[in-house]
Amino acid sequence: MSGEGRWSGRALVVGSILASLVLVGAYLAAGGSSYEPKQVQDPCQPRPWSNPQTLGQIANQFTISALDGAACKLGVSRETLARALATPEGRERFTQRYGIDDEKLAKAIRAGLVRAVDDAEEAGALPSFIAGPLRQTVQSIPLEQAIEIVNDAQSFLGNAESFLGPAQGLVEQLLPFGP
Amino acid sequence: MAESPRPRVAALALAVGVVLADSSIVVLALPEIYRDFDTSVSGVTWVLVSFNLVIALAAVPAALFARRVGPGRTAAVGLAIFAGAGLACGLSDQLSTLILARCIQALGGAAAVTAALELLPATVGSERRAATVWAAAGATGAALGPAVGGILTELVSWQSIFLIQVPVALAAAVPILSVAKHEAATGIIEAEVRQTGKPHLWANLALAMVSAAIAAALFLLVLLLIEGWRLSPIEAALVVSVMPLAAILGSRLAERVGDTRSRAAAGAILVSGGLAGLAFLPKATIVLTIPPQILVGLGLSLVLSALTETALHGRSPQAIHGGWTISSRHAGVVIGLLALTPIFTAEIDQQRHDAIDAGTAVILDSPIDPLLKLDLAQKVSDQLEREKGKVPTIEPAFEPKPEDPGQRAEVEQLQGELQDQLDRGATHAFSTSFILAALLGLIALFPIGLSRRVDL
Repeated sequence: MSGEGRWSGRALVVGSILASLVLVGAYLAAGGSSYEPKQVQDPCQPRPWSNPQTLGQIANQFTISALDGAACKLGVSRETLARALATPEGRERFTQRYGIDDEKLAKAIRAGLVRAVDDAEEAGALPSFIAGPLRQTVQSIPLEQAIEIVNDAQSFLGNAESFLGPAQGLVEQLLPFGP
Repeated sequence: MAESPRPRVAALALAVGVVLADSSIVVLALPEIYRDFDTSVSGVTWVLVSFNLVIALAAVPAALFARRVGPGRTAAVGLAIFAGAGLACGLSDQLSTLILARCIQALGGAAAVTAALELLPATVGSERRAATVWAAAGATGAALGPAVGGILTELVSWQSIFLIQVPVALAAAVPILSVAKHEAATGIIEAEVRQTGKPHLWANLALAMVSAAIAAALFLLVLLLIEGWRLSPIEAALVVSVMPLAAILGSRLAERVGDTRSRAAAGAILVSGGLAGLAFLPKATIVLTIPPQILVGLGLSLVLSALTETALHGRSPQAIHGGWTISSRHAGVVIGLLALTPIFTAEIDQQRHDAIDAGTAVILDSPIDPLLKLDLAQKVSDQLEREKGKVPTIEPAFEPKPEDPGQRAEVEQLQGELQDQLDRGATHAFSTSFILAALLGLIALFPIGLSRRVDL
């Protein structure tokens, strides 16, 4: 074997190492190992309301707060609970997987609705004298109705007067989004 | 009058090319096959694994059989079996029958390829020239395989990949029939009978490891492009053509360096470097796959030729030692696929779980109507659950779109955001497998270091 041939062989090996290191270094420097899947937030941590203006926006925030509150109580993520409550089949799968009975689920959802009312009041989206009766109302409603409120908060807030009894008629005038 | 050797050389080269192309031709069709048969990535991998496994097991016995019965008859019968099984593959309506037909196809293929190496010295004049023709035909077939497979899958169907092999294999068998008839009539076998040496352990072991890494590179990259990034088979075929093009350049480079051990080491390093590059792609962009593919392509041409030359150097008969190299390479492919597929599918599953939560979070945080968002969250979740064992797609969950233009725009934006999450997650899901494949390439440096240096 010639000396030139040996040199060529070594040069080829060194060149290959350099080319590989340059490529991998460049890709790492450009963020090649930085991917992290989007993490879900802890439902027990407060989630600030983003100054909702319309009934739709308030309903949106209300739903999120209610899901957070209920998920926190059950020890699951808000995302898992949202999927569970969307359909009766989803709810059945969820209760079986986590070993949760209807009573426990109802308690958690009521707690979530209370948290939603609290958050709405704190954000100024619901006056205190409406928040109070609403809080009392959601604390005693049956499970199916509680789920319905989480899934369709807009109708609930829009028709809040039907739940309020003595405060009937006031909501439309007093809610910040108006009639 | 003496027969011209050219048609026979062309036929033998065609036989070797079409059989060895078959080990990779189906790669770009796998996503179509797994959708057609509604199976998982692990299930469809067996379309590839079965073929390579049977070739790995049958190559050496087939070479011995060819020397005993006659290489002409073995090659002709092998090609007939390959063609018949190819027809069965194309007509399969179940994954199990497709896999069975692939096993039979591999048996025929192993017989044809090893018998071809036994026939070539008598046809081209020397063992060295025969080995060159044989290796070049195999490399060309393996290089062109994925691109041809991708084009046929998109323009016709995945079945056409197998059906088109039937006339090609039969055409290759025709010029060999005269040798087979001669053997049958006279009992004279054209192959020289000489003592066989021991197979080159280190070179064959290194071949297996490097082949595992290369197979993983091709298989994973194709799945990433078609399933992860939603490219069509033709687009993916164009993208992965970078590897064989770089391999052609690499073969020119290989001719200039005589020391096989240095070539093998440089090749293994380049293959590993390219695979590490694919593991750390900074973005889900096609352009960024090109530099790593160039390294893998250059590396594979250097390392495969150097190790094959080392394994065959000074050993006789070539067919049996060629059988060992074929066996090692295909065993490597099987090991690579079987070792990395579970890791890769587990990563996809983890990514699917992350995607379900991330997707629901994106939907819940969106400004769309709460009723619609909860419905969407459920549909996306159901869709991703249905895609268990596959790279997930969410498009069906967003159909039909709302009629209200405002809601529609918001839903479309949401779908885009979610798809971006999934694309990034899908790219990430391949990283561990690419890193492990790169490590396999680096581990091959040990047997390469232990192999005797051969100066050619």
